Amino acid sequence: MTQPVLQVDNLSVQFKTDDGMVRAVRDVSFAVHPGETLGIVGESGSGKSVTNLAIMGLIPRPPGQVTSGRAIYGGRDLLRLNARQLSDIRGRRVAMIFQDPMTSLNPFLTVAEQLTEVTRRHLGHTRRQALDHAVTMLERVGIPAASRRIEDYPHQFSGGMRQRVMIAIALSCRPEVLIADEPTTALDVTIQAQILDLMRQLQEEEGTAIIMITHDLGVIANVCHRVNVMYAGRFVEEATVDDLFARPRHPYTLGLLQSIPRLDEEAAAVLTPIEGQPPDLSEMSPGCAFEPRCRFAVDRCRQERPALETGPDGGRHACFVDVETAPQQERQHG
Amino acid sequence: MAENNVSAELVKESPGGTVAATDAPLLEVRDLKVHFPFRRGPFWNRQQAAVRAVDGISFEVREGETFGLVGESGCGKSTTARAILNLIHSTSGQVLLNGRPIHRLSDSAMRPYRRQMQMIFQDPFASLNPRMTVGRIIGEPMKIFNLHTPRTRRLEVMRLMELVGLNPRFVRRYPHEFSGGQRQRIGIARALAADPKLIICDEPVSALDVSIQAQVVNLLMELQAELGVAYVFIAHDLSVVRHISHRVGVMYLGRLVEVAEARDLYDQPRHPYTQALLSAVPVPDPQIERTRQRTELSGEVPSPEIIYPGCPFADRCPIAEPECRDRPPHLEGDGHQVSCHLA
Repeated sequence: MTQPVLQVDNLSVQFKTDDGMVRAVRDVSFAVHPGETLGIVGESGSGKSVTNLAIMGLIPRPPGQVTSGRAIYGGRDLLRLNARQLSDIRGRRVAMIFQDPMTSLNPFLTVAEQLTEVTRRHLGHTRRQALDHAVTMLERVGIPAASRRIEDYPHQFSGGMRQRVMIAIALSCRPEVLIADEPTTALDVTIQAQILDLMRQLQEEEGTAIIMITHDLGVIANVCHRVNVMYAGRFVEEATVDDLFARPRHPYTLGLLQSIPRLDEEAAAVLTPIEGQPPDLSEMSPGCAFEPRCRFAVDRCRQERPALETGPDGGRHACFVDVETAPQQERQHG
Repeated sequence: MAENNVSAELVKESPGGTVAATDAPLLEVRDLKVHFPFRRGPFWNRQQAAVRAVDGISFEVREGETFGLVGESGCGKSTTARAILNLIHSTSGQVLLNGRPIHRLSDSAMRPYRRQMQMIFQDPFASLNPRMTVGRIIGEPMKIFNLHTPRTRRLEVMRLMELVGLNPRFVRRYPHEFSGGQRQRIGIARALAADPKLIICDEPVSALDVSIQAQVVNLLMELQAELGVAYVFIAHDLSVVRHISHRVGVMYLGRLVEVAEARDLYDQPRHPYTQALLSAVPVPDPQIERTRQRTELSGEVPSPEIIYPGCPFADRCPIAEPECRDRPPHLEGDGHQVSCHLA
């Protein structure tokens, strides 16, 4: 296997809140390789966005604090760089796109100003060069009449077009890593299909490594090569996309797959929801965070937290129980 | 919960089976239009224009049935819901509840019908009054419609809380003390408080996490099996709509382009827009995803101000022919209805 382009080890992030210390990310490790799309799937509050904001040095301090870990890119630890060193990498080597393209573009600046800013800052382009490059980028992401539309303001574009502009900005310095945080969640399905195709095509051309953060298992199945499942601040399972969907090893992953209705299947009589609620991250038991909702839980799960261990097929999962053979119980929730 | 699951199963197995027995539909929408007029152009050349949010749609909902309404943002599905409830006034067309016209009724004339039609909203954070306890929120419709005595009302509130899976001990708590999924349960209990025949659910699960979505979808199906309430279920998530609906209508630019039994619509979509929409939904199975053929649509949904002489989808349609641009198609067919010259 090739060298990873970005490697994260034992990352932990916490936030000080009125309700006490919230440990949003706990001991998370992963690596992403050139040309690969790594998925991070989890529900709201599971820590998937915070993980990536920490890598980019975008956690507001205070109240946030990175308490441990490193993020190695190009032989350097991103978590130890000062603001100046970090801004040379951010947007240039590691870029990010967000869920809501309306709030992440500046409404007072034209698209041209926002696109040229990055290349002038990072690649030392002149105004002319930067503008030419910007038009090329807009054409590549499929914006019709790019040379005319580049003078428009963000509000003059539709949601799908704004997300294309975001992608053009993110890719204009040809970054090695692209972090995409729910890039299609705010878009309609037909536009989502266009954007996912575009990302895949640009990845094939550039060999960009993509970290795809999403809650949508359909999107994961569509674009990812490997997947990490996150629950209550921890990675609970990592597998190739095929293994994850064919043989989920963690009860939470299994629960997620069973709780979604599928478009291509004759409607099942009832969905199997995961009962209960995600845990409060400020008060956690010594055991497995998923235990209160788990259909497979045994006594040991309450006392001891399972470590993320490598299984026979090369994936990792953090569970004492084998979901394929273990007995299940009905759980009661008030 | 186990016995409820069984009853939900029964309903799913006989979509429309028991409900077809009654002859007059519970809700009938005939050629409903909602246009929002505005003026445009410089002051010396003002022109009257309109956003044609809903542009002539017809469908019916039978007792105890779930009618799914799908389409992309801006297609008019929420406007349709609001026009049915008279929350916004329709421009033309008719809405009949149990055969009685209710469109464009005044607020006071509408009141008795409101008891029979309730609504569940998308955002369980914005649709509950933060200053009211759960008990008052759920009890409010009973007060408005003068149901029960003040004393039995309390018991009724607790019964409803139990019915939707909330602990009745929490009756004095405020909405912010509940999670998103629980708040949606409060919204459902409030909708049920008036004992309605029809509940219009506008994106009821799209703000919830997937594991919680399934809880709420199951609850809605169990309640239908138990109480026989009908739903108009509006959502952009086509998988959820397939799961819960007996029949489904697909909207595009303020019009219904296809209406059919859920199974027929999903297995044999006939309108090119429905085909493209369904093929765009990623399926949670990587092996299927790799080999799936997609009908990709070019461009985006055009502005709803434009008046089309022909089919409004023709500009984006992969199979359009010249006649499509000249002659408007109409929703035709028995059972499986399509609005397309070529389908």
